[in-house]
Amino acid sequence: MDKKQLIVMGAGPGGYAAAFQAANLGLDVTLIDPKPDPGGVCLFHGCIPSKALLHLAKVKKEAVLAEEWGLTFTDAKIDLEKVRSWKKSVVKQLTGGLGQLAKSRKVKYLRGTAILTGKNKLEFIPSEDGKQDTKNKKQEIEFEKLIIATGASSAPLPDIEFDDERVMNSKTALELKDIPKKLLVVGAGYIGLEMSVIYKALGSEITIVEFTPDILPGVDQDLKDVFKKERKDLMDNIMFNTKATSVDKKGKRLNVKLETKDGETREETFNKMLIAIGSTPNTRGIGLEEAGIETDKKGFIRVDLVRRTNIENIYAIGDVTGQPMLAHKASHEGRVAAEHIAGNKTAYEPKAIPAVVFTDPEIAWTGLTENEAKEQDIKYEVAKFPWAASGRALTLGVKNGLTKLLIDPENGRILGAAMAGTDAGSLISEATLAVEMGAVARDLELTIHPHPTLSETIMEAAEVFYGHATHIHKRKRNKRTD
Amino acid sequence: MIKEIKLPEIADNVDTAVVLEVLVSVGDKIEKDDSLAEMESDKATFDMPAEESGTVKEIKVKDGDEVKVGQVMFTIDTSADEEKKEVAKEKEVEEDKKEKPEKEEEKPEKEKSEEKEGKEEDKAEKDQPEEKETGKKEKREEEESGDEKTEQKEVTPEKEDTEKPAAEVPAPPSVRRLAREIGINIRKVPGTGPESRITIDDVKAFAKKQMEERSSPGIADDYELPDFSKWGKVRREKMANIRKITAKAMTESWQTIPHVFQFDKADVTNLEEFRKKYSKHLEKEGGKLTLTAMLVKLTAEALKAFPRFNASLDIKNEEVIYKEYIHIGVAVDTERGLLVPVIRDADKKPVTQLSVELGELADKARKKKIMPDELQGGNFAISNLGGIGGTSFTPIVYRPNVAILGVSRSQMEPVYIDGEFRPRMMLPLSLSYDHRIIDGADGARFLRWLCEAMENPMLTMF
Repeated sequence: MDKKQLIVMGAGPGGYAAAFQAANLGLDVTLIDPKPDPGGVCLFHGCIPSKALLHLAKVKKEAVLAEEWGLTFTDAKIDLEKVRSWKKSVVKQLTGGLGQLAKSRKVKYLRGTAILTGKNKLEFIPSEDGKQDTKNKKQEIEFEKLIIATGASSAPLPDIEFDDERVMNSKTALELKDIPKKLLVVGAGYIGLEMSVIYKALGSEITIVEFTPDILPGVDQDLKDVFKKERKDLMDNIMFNTKATSVDKKGKRLNVKLETKDGETREETFNKMLIAIGSTPNTRGIGLEEAGIETDKKGFIRVDLVRRTNIENIYAIGDVTGQPMLAHKASHEGRVAAEHIAGNKTAYEPKAIPAVVFTDPEIAWTGLTENEAKEQDIKYEVAKFPWAASGRALTLGVKNGLTKLLIDPENGRILGAAMAGTDAGSLISEATLAVEMGAVARDLELTIHPHPTLSETIMEAAEVFYGHATHIHKRKRNKRTD
Repeated sequence: MIKEIKLPEIADNVDTAVVLEVLVSVGDKIEKDDSLAEMESDKATFDMPAEESGTVKEIKVKDGDEVKVGQVMFTIDTSADEEKKEVAKEKEVEEDKKEKPEKEEEKPEKEKSEEKEGKEEDKAEKDQPEEKETGKKEKREEEESGDEKTEQKEVTPEKEDTEKPAAEVPAPPSVRRLAREIGINIRKVPGTGPESRITIDDVKAFAKKQMEERSSPGIADDYELPDFSKWGKVRREKMANIRKITAKAMTESWQTIPHVFQFDKADVTNLEEFRKKYSKHLEKEGGKLTLTAMLVKLTAEALKAFPRFNASLDIKNEEVIYKEYIHIGVAVDTERGLLVPVIRDADKKPVTQLSVELGELADKARKKKIMPDELQGGNFAISNLGGIGGTSFTPIVYRPNVAILGVSRSQMEPVYIDGEFRPRMMLPLSLSYDHRIIDGADGARFLRWLCEAMENPMLTMF
């Protein structure tokens, strides 16, 4: 039996990044995934299709807004078939491209799933999209090194299973089977809000229930406030401190029982419901026990700085290693693991991992957040620049928006940053670079930013720290002279 | 009466010594000047003598410990001896009283600094709990795999760190990566950027400094050794301190001093006759009249005649330092390696005394009883390999000396004198000197002067 030099289990953004980097570094790489091409949940059922649909939602919203500026369109018509095929073409183009890239790097792509059977071997089960491939037989494959990148799946509710087409998770919701008249979204985290924005734009009537007292648990209050002000349409129909306890699927409609923290219950009917309460790592049923790989209580695989598990030759990256469960974190980990396997000295040690909620308006943050700073008792100062003072924001018709920097009061070093508003997800990168570079607010202040753009808000927030922003006038308590 | 035995002042600039071996056990009865432990400092190996007779009560050090000057190593119960020496005891108490205030003044400060160090360590540990764990793990690994691991450690100065992210350090990702790649702990790198941000140049400068420090023992170089075990069985042994010091000193001398070598032969026929005749006479006085002793004496005279050979070079200040004393080092071959004890004021001592002193120093050096200060302060060195053989060799000048005399084996040779060959005892001499301060003609003159002085010692009187 031939022994593979490196097998990567799972071809999501973590797995394929690891496989490609390993191949770049001269390793012989085998990539195993049930999908026809690399991409994983992110490209097939997550980040990419959702962003395509969110763009659609944004265009629609702006078209409506344009009436205020003197540009009136006739009412939008939605051709669901066309929307689906457009979304599909985007996914196809991207994943097909990745398949080509795998080939050109001579990465061997095996379509199917794998279960570990020991520290150096696994059983490969050929399959296509979950259906077992009967033509090809199971086979045992030995390997020298392995990277586990099996990702995560939507967590189900304790008493509500995904056994009815009308009870959706983010993956099935993005398939856009139809546009439900009344949609219940369980969970006001980033997936719940993004899906709400999409279905709202498509014409659904949205009800959101959230178990905690607010949207986006953990996110700084001032950022949430921007979203709340902008999306009154969604906020009017949201129930906090509430959970969906059971669902009656017998009738034509779903009869959902909702319960508040105080114990009040009521029933409401919906055409469909979406459960977006988080993700669980795909670490069960993949033979971790056979190889002796340790996981923590939540099922995440324990890894060290180079993403090596307690088993010397087995690495794990991405959602299976813990929070934040983000594609870009997985890719970075994947490259680190591949580099280490190739014998390079490397480490996973980011100062800042940007996170973006792609709702309209977008919310993004990087590095230290105010909540974290308070929890960890880290001294910081906030420098805020409201977008009401940004020329570019006004020309875009954006009224609410915020850029803030978290700064070390001792030396002006940028510890973190956050934005809420149009394109926040793109703006956050400059701040992430600043954090990684150990930049001080002075560096951002003295860097010329193009006018008129939203990026100027970062420069001006830095100016605020020193007490003299051009476009807002505010006396600082303690004026900085340094 | 409990007496504390502390590590004494060993020599200038020597603050610590390593315990090679503790030679006594608790309860041992010891006499004054008995060896309690074998010690090794930067400069020498020596025995730690008991200052008092008594019984060993406590042993506060163990083999391999690094001991600071003034640190208590042993306590000795002298009460058994005290009865015998009542008078002495009283005196001792008085002395104790005198010493005490001084001691106590010293103590708190030392303790403070130790405490401070301790605290800092604690803090560092708290800051990085993982570090502690890795440390333990490493240690365990080391213990388990013994030699192999230590070997690896020498190759990679800092073990690859797979436990701690360096994200809290104000350094860009590229800089953190570089530090990892070249094995630098970026937490230790001082940043010169704005608000002490660490730049690529900072890491490079730090790495360079570390390399220099590491290579300063003169024994580390980039040469990659082949795997000798391919060709047969091998054994690895740690270099002794003396070996390391010699390696360092010789490399530095060889690299900085432009050496010139001068060879000559001295007709020592008469000198040998003289030596044999008076040797017995001297033995009664406890010494031996050796050729080396006579050489030391004559060299002392030569150094007086040629003061540049007794000088040192201060290149930084572009000055020559002339010394108005004549201390001569004489190389001694010991089990542990080369040692060069120094004879003070060789010019002022008669040959008989030089002979006795030389014997004593060589004996001390071989028995590891020589103290570091007895190995310092030489202006010129003599290395006599004649006892072993050879016709000539080129010794390396030992900084800050500027010259060294090498002596090979004398032998009977036909010498053409007054129209015929005569059998003469000829002694081959080699002179290595620093050309920065001594020119060829001077070198030749010095050695010729020495040869002639040996042929006719009366000449030195002029």
